[in-house]
Amino acid sequence: MLRFVARRTGALVIVIFALLVLVFLISRYGGGDPVRGYLGANASTSAVAEMRTSLGLDAPVWVQFWDYLVRLAHLDLGTSLGSRRPVSAELGQRLPATAELALWTVVCSALIGVLLARVYSLKGRFSGVLRLILFSGASAPSFLLATGGLLLFFMHLHVLPVSGRTSYGASSGLTGMYVLDGLLTGNLAYAWDALRHLLLPALAAGLGPGVALARVLADGLTTGLRSAYARTARSLGESESSVLWRHSLRNAASPALSLFGVQLGMMLSSLVVIEEIFSWNGLGQFLVQSIGGSDTNSVATISLVLGVCYVLLNALVDIALALVDPRVRLG
Amino acid sequence: MPSSPEIAVPTRRLFLPGVPGRIRAGAGSAARTAGPAEVAALVLLSMLILVAIVGPMLSPYSGIIPSGAAHRPPLSPGHLLGTDNLGLDIGTRVLLGTRTSLFAALVVTALSAVAGLVIGTLAGFSGGVLDNVLMRVTDLFLALPATIVAMAIAAGLGPGLGSSMIGIAVVWWPLYARLVRGEVRRAAGSLHVEAARISGTKGLRLVIRHVLPSVLPTVAVTASLDVGGVIVTVAALSFVGLGSSAPAPELGLMAAAGLQYLVTSWWIPIIPGICVGLLSLLFNYTGDGLRAVLRAKGA
Repeated sequence: MLRFVARRTGALVIVIFALLVLVFLISRYGGGDPVRGYLGANASTSAVAEMRTSLGLDAPVWVQFWDYLVRLAHLDLGTSLGSRRPVSAELGQRLPATAELALWTVVCSALIGVLLARVYSLKGRFSGVLRLILFSGASAPSFLLATGGLLLFFMHLHVLPVSGRTSYGASSGLTGMYVLDGLLTGNLAYAWDALRHLLLPALAAGLGPGVALARVLADGLTTGLRSAYARTARSLGESESSVLWRHSLRNAASPALSLFGVQLGMMLSSLVVIEEIFSWNGLGQFLVQSIGGSDTNSVATISLVLGVCYVLLNALVDIALALVDPRVRLG
Repeated sequence: MPSSPEIAVPTRRLFLPGVPGRIRAGAGSAARTAGPAEVAALVLLSMLILVAIVGPMLSPYSGIIPSGAAHRPPLSPGHLLGTDNLGLDIGTRVLLGTRTSLFAALVVTALSAVAGLVIGTLAGFSGGVLDNVLMRVTDLFLALPATIVAMAIAAGLGPGLGSSMIGIAVVWWPLYARLVRGEVRRAAGSLHVEAARISGTKGLRLVIRHVLPSVLPTVAVTASLDVGGVIVTVAALSFVGLGSSAPAPELGLMAAAGLQYLVTSWWIPIIPGICVGLLSLLFNYTGDGLRAVLRAKGA
């Protein structure tokens, strides 16, 4: 087990390094010449050369990369062109919002996945209508799900709020995750309100991954229910629901969990779109705003943060998988 | 599709129902043949492609010049899908956007497939150090969050349809490289390749004449399954502002720009979204049917 963790951590370091190189290249060479952009097109050649030297832009690339790493280590990430505030401050403020939404999205997709898989395994595998629904859920772009959801739940049914994270104003709590803060401070009305704001964005982002999960789980469940261990359990007098939930689901969980790590990537990118639609002041909204303001440096930095989160979570999923499934850690 | 122990990442494409990969390991699914639903999807898809190519020419309106009153709902006289906030005919714009989406998705998929084919064949056929290096690089790309990286690359290149297409292609080829490598290795060990080798065929000729023919169908099916995903990704990048700028008729952009009218004129943001979903659904459905047919044949 220790060897597996060591190996996985080594791979993690390499991947993060590659991500750093990529992001460095984008923030350094993307978005045109920063010196020309600052001095204007009419600046003299000597002024440009002088500024280039003073900024260290004429140094060899690896020296510049090292400088970049040092600045990253000091959390000196530059200034956001949009808000004129340090990017690190923006990130720190917005990270809990995205973390909260991501967390509930994971919960939603897991629920959708298990429920759909249950229905799927009941009905016989390729019951046409269900198959079409599953395909539609996996095919629909997240912005369609979000806008469609708003149309239904906000405009027609009037049951859910339209945007934002709360009707009361930012929480003063410790975590910056509003539902949790509300619960921690005992302010149940606040938590309930935050939950209502969360529901639609989390569903819109979680439906696609949930459907994918359902397919995998359903595959596993149907094989599991026909397997020898299920027959043994039945012959020992276990009820059908116990066979399903206790035995088949557990055996189907391993491939589903490994799929989940991959789905996180999809989830992250749909969160970007979803946050913009619901005015959710997280990293995704910051990313879209920076794209709109042609702020290449901020775009690169936010991508780095999201990328590192994804890579870390994936490593954790793999290690969790190895913990529950010896085939993974020995294979 | 075997993953190396070093960087164990299953392919990202797994959100598509039924793509071969780690998740299919325990699948007890019997090979299906294409049913009426798949055939219907294929017919619909062909019609849609035809309409997207020919339709804009038949439409009396321009995609970027207002052609009537603004905010007309769908089924208004003269405007089947209504008009947007500027009085542009949504039907015409959606047709133009569909054409752009199809073009972009097909080019990106083709580029990725060809790049993956070259790299995968090189790795699978050469073996040894080159194989190791190429596959490590491939795994590295697979370990990154695809759409986020595509967004960063497109932003670095400066927004535009071309930039988004490059960004997506950069993160999409590794899937094909892995797939092709596995298929090439399998094919290279088969009897007919062995026979060709013994009778003196080698090098490029061996690869092209004897190995690739058995690899190509798998790649083609994967590509057809991928187009739907690429269409959605292109639309997402366009939605966040990495595609062409307004008033270009791009589906993601139209949905994003129309968002502020959701409450008053729902059709402005919703119709382009439905269009993206429908395109992707049809591609996924027919691709899946194609896969089933091919698997039934191969089995």
